[in-house]
Amino acid sequence: MNIYSIIDGNRAVSGIIITFIYIGLALLFGYLISGYIKKLYTDEEEKTWLYPISGRIVNFFEKFFNENKNKQMKFKEYFFTLIMFNFFAGIIGFVFIYFQHDFPYSYANNHMDLSLTFNTVISFLTNTDLQHYSNSFDLSILSWTFVVTGLMFLSAGTGFAASMAFIRGILNDNGKLGNFYHDFLVSIFYLILPLTILVTVIVIAMGVPETLSSYINVFPIGSSAVKLPLGPVATLVSIKNIGTNGGGFYGANAAFPLGNPDWFTNIVEYLSFMLIPLGSIMSLRYVFDKRFGNMLTGVLLTIFVFTSMLTFISEFIGIPEISALGIFTGNMTGKEAYLGLAPSSVFQVGSVFTSTGASSGGIIDYTPTGMLGLLSNLVLNDPLGGVGTGIVNIFTYVVFTLFITSLMVGKLPELMNIRIGSKEIKYSTLSLISHPLIVIIPLGITLMIPVIMGTFYNGFPSNISNLLYEFGSAASNNGSEAGGFLTNSSYFNYLDGIIMLLGRYLILGIQLLLAQQFAFKKPKTIYNKSAIDTGSFSFAFMLLAVIIMIGLLSYLPIFALGPLYSWAKDFDFMVIGWI
Amino acid sequence: MDLRGVIINALKGFDFRKIIKNPVMFITEIAFFISIFIIIFPSYFNVPDTSVYIYFYISVTVLLFLTVFFSNLSTSLSESQSMAITSSLEKMKISTKANLLKDNKIITVSSDELRKGDIIIVKKDETIPSDGEVIKGSGYVNESNVTGESRPVIKLVGDSVTGSTVLVTDEITVKVSVNPGESFIDSMIKVVQNAVRERTPNEIALSIFLSGVTLIFLVVVASIFSLSAYTGIKPNIDILLVLLVALIPTTIGGLLPAIGIAAVNKVSQYNIISKSGKAVENAGDIDTIILDKTGTITIGEREAVKFYPNQNYDYHDFVKKSLLCSLNDETIEGLSIVRLAKKENIEYNEDELKNYEFVPFSSETSYSGIKNGDKYILKGSLRALSEKLNLNDTYINGICKEISLKGGTAIPVASDGKFIGVIELNDILKPGIRDRIEDLHKMNISTVMLTGDDEVTAAYFAREAGIDEYIANSKPDDKYNKVIEEKNKERMVAMIGDGTNDAPALAKADVAMAMNTGTQAAKDAANMIDLDSTPTKLIDVIFLGKQILITRGSLTTFSIANDISKYFVIIPAMFYMFPELGFLNILNLTDPLRAITAALIFNTIIIVILVPLALRGVKYTPSSASDLLKRNIIVYGFGGIVFPFIMIYIIYMLLSLGGVAW
Repeated sequence: MNIYSIIDGNRAVSGIIITFIYIGLALLFGYLISGYIKKLYTDEEEKTWLYPISGRIVNFFEKFFNENKNKQMKFKEYFFTLIMFNFFAGIIGFVFIYFQHDFPYSYANNHMDLSLTFNTVISFLTNTDLQHYSNSFDLSILSWTFVVTGLMFLSAGTGFAASMAFIRGILNDNGKLGNFYHDFLVSIFYLILPLTILVTVIVIAMGVPETLSSYINVFPIGSSAVKLPLGPVATLVSIKNIGTNGGGFYGANAAFPLGNPDWFTNIVEYLSFMLIPLGSIMSLRYVFDKRFGNMLTGVLLTIFVFTSMLTFISEFIGIPEISALGIFTGNMTGKEAYLGLAPSSVFQVGSVFTSTGASSGGIIDYTPTGMLGLLSNLVLNDPLGGVGTGIVNIFTYVVFTLFITSLMVGKLPELMNIRIGSKEIKYSTLSLISHPLIVIIPLGITLMIPVIMGTFYNGFPSNISNLLYEFGSAASNNGSEAGGFLTNSSYFNYLDGIIMLLGRYLILGIQLLLAQQFAFKKPKTIYNKSAIDTGSFSFAFMLLAVIIMIGLLSYLPIFALGPLYSWAKDFDFMVIGWI
Repeated sequence: MDLRGVIINALKGFDFRKIIKNPVMFITEIAFFISIFIIIFPSYFNVPDTSVYIYFYISVTVLLFLTVFFSNLSTSLSESQSMAITSSLEKMKISTKANLLKDNKIITVSSDELRKGDIIIVKKDETIPSDGEVIKGSGYVNESNVTGESRPVIKLVGDSVTGSTVLVTDEITVKVSVNPGESFIDSMIKVVQNAVRERTPNEIALSIFLSGVTLIFLVVVASIFSLSAYTGIKPNIDILLVLLVALIPTTIGGLLPAIGIAAVNKVSQYNIISKSGKAVENAGDIDTIILDKTGTITIGEREAVKFYPNQNYDYHDFVKKSLLCSLNDETIEGLSIVRLAKKENIEYNEDELKNYEFVPFSSETSYSGIKNGDKYILKGSLRALSEKLNLNDTYINGICKEISLKGGTAIPVASDGKFIGVIELNDILKPGIRDRIEDLHKMNISTVMLTGDDEVTAAYFAREAGIDEYIANSKPDDKYNKVIEEKNKERMVAMIGDGTNDAPALAKADVAMAMNTGTQAAKDAANMIDLDSTPTKLIDVIFLGKQILITRGSLTTFSIANDISKYFVIIPAMFYMFPELGFLNILNLTDPLRAITAALIFNTIIIVILVPLALRGVKYTPSSASDLLKRNIIVYGFGGIVFPFIMIYIIYMLLSLGGVAW
């Protein structure tokens, strides 16, 4: 039976319209905040309306730590400070979580073993939030409130600070990247904290719980008593989205009614994780050049539109076996009925398009091509990126595209009229290849270990997709989980931990080193126009081509034996209630 | 080097120590050696060893060998071109006799014994034994063996002469400026040889990227090994090797060294010696060109064409005075005034000059002439003379302006407190110069002309030629200051110069071309020397620089775009045991082994097909960058996607026709 014959025109059209409404809203809010973010990037925070409050708080901390923005750092000092700051936070988090049962506000079942603690701390520290523990009870209220929430703020602040340093690297010519403490405080108190408070208020109003009591007993009809975990859910929901962290209080994340009660919170949560990454990219319209900012937004949205359409349409077409029975609901398996196909899909794609990783449904239940839409974003290192990291990532592609396009018109490459030398190419190449390497190498190794492969619930080829999803999510610091195997094993806990560390700090380090190269250089004075018009369609096309050729095409053999093969054989689909 | 030499050299390129510098080809060569072992010990690699497969392994081995061989061949071909250049240079290095002036005695020594600072005397029809500077006398020198120009050129005091050129008139005294082995020809040979080894920063950047891509594909192919092992397919190492070699950018990787060497060779064919490959590449990226005088864009030799006496001043007297003040002036202007005056059959007596002291032209004063106490005859720029002598003559001003507006140069002559007339020197734009400047504009290069001429003349020629900016009445410092000013704006500056006072500016410029007729100091400071001394050739070098970059960029795009078709041919063929993946088999190639062979054959022959392109360079017509980008994306990007599909299909069909069935 031809599955295309069953497409119900109206439902398809309304789904597509919903998807575009979501995308349009993200653009609108990104545009609204972009002017504000621009002021943070150009060190004009005193011109923001939050200055009277946030300025005092930042001043207070700066006086306390005896740091200020005049103490400018070069790459070495900046990155070292960033690493040490994160390292100590990680150590403190580790101690708190590993010994959480010895601290107050804990219950007997609050315990994690060494490998799980290692994985969990790194996961929150690196803005990944890959949750290998499955139960909200695994963490005590204290761990939730201080460690997890704290690390969520810290990782988002670190990411944004890094992007401030990167942009300063391009704008400056004195070799300085800025002061990490100042950048971090500005990120937190001017951007992340105010937005989190705003979103918290909205989601509490919509019925998301915020309490210190740890659980209540509920008595579902026809079932015995169930412990329903509670806690500081609303705060966590806000920071997990605003900070593109993605680790929800509930294992089911945004698919759990108390984490995402209705269509409105679904939009609010989606907008909160799109807000800063898209706003940062759009702020480049003011920081550098309007057409350049528009071009980047356009290229990234093209990827978003394409992958979200791929996922939505795949989910809409549904599972052939079920459609054959005359039930044309699309693939509702693992999706919340009150959200429906389009909102679930676009939320999910948005969550991997940014490095959030929140999920509004069971990812493992997506159709193979629906999954391909998600995987494509993951292997591209989350095109729009997380708070701050998105800008830095896209610039490595831009540097490389400039290199190729400049050569093609017979010029030596320049970024914002700053000459790109062989060192810059070296660092952007390193940064571009690091991501595929830390995904493919662990994948290749894991496939060779039968014991590990034996823990998969699905057989070939679905398990290839699941495995690729796991490492892609860890490497891009996304944190969404397809699951499909026993994630909480010391093998995956340690391996993912290392991948997350490399995916975060190694790549960030190389990228800041790239910024350092630019920081010494002065832009060229242009009399009429630059050789390469970075706002042009040709450049946008080449950027997209480079992203696809370098980022996506290298995965074709794995895609072929994973999602494409599943799809091709009318997918070997296993319905697992993995929510 | 003959064909045999080229081939032997290409085979020598297989040496691991050599090929490791090119990671893409290094990987290919390793794949080649592994494939040999696969033929010999198929069971050891756990691959099928039926005769069909053995034929397949053999053809893979041959093709992998050819891939590396063709890459080496392209390098070897361009090296042989440079060797042809060096050996022709070597032939010029003949040891001659030299008349060394030592302790006021002339002794005859071999040219090899000359040291820097030695004074030698060169007589008529003798070969100049070493590079040096004329310190006495003047004469015509035939430089055809260096420049290819058969017309002898005049060498005056202060000019530099090149060893191995021949003095055809008179006798000159030359101060040797180099030690043996450092002569101009020696350095030319060194440059051409170095170009073979030295890699430019841009080339290094590109090979870093190519190595990165190679590393990714290496890991991807390794992951296919574990993927297929996991799925229970026996992974065939030989097919994985083919996939690897097909995916890594062998096309650009193989041709990259040849592109760079070919460019330096081409510069030599323009009769320009570049001291480094980097300078040629930088030339492609120039933002500003500084032309050092009006003569760069005009025919050059400004000839005196007409005498205009002042109101009520005797014509013959004016001509005579003009002649007298120019007799000792050896500038081109001075000589031409003498020539023109002599045509007028003016009677004069050289003894009249005895009472006068000669005031030579200097760029500081902008005038020259003769002087005896209060009496003087001076000629020079209107501004300089008016200021110096405190004169203001509206009639003379009018004539000067009129001449300038015509594009001529007015040289007023003043004698004893008044202007006595104006000499008109005329010059015209070189044919085609307008178009070339227009080309520069298309390439987004701004042009600056510094000239000692007055405002009106400079404006006239700048306007006529379409030059963006001019600085009239410029002093020697102005050149240096302009270069520094542009450098401070981070712009790439090219300049042309020949005088000693140009040396500081030349040393600062990114691309500095000195004329071979220029002084030794200028040649030392420059990074390119134009043997024919035709300044507009700088524009050719810019074209060439752009051409190298475009060739590299386009071939990289082409090479990477090729991967799409190779993926869609090899992946379905490799996983033929999963018929469901047949939808990836766009070309519908039914025989997997033949499809894989076809892809590898394409991968190999594309290198040969592109060798001429790499050596000649991608066609470059000056146009705006955005048009060029669009054109190259279509030709090399889309072409790179579509062309291999067609080619692989044709090769596949030819293989079937040839009865190749595995």
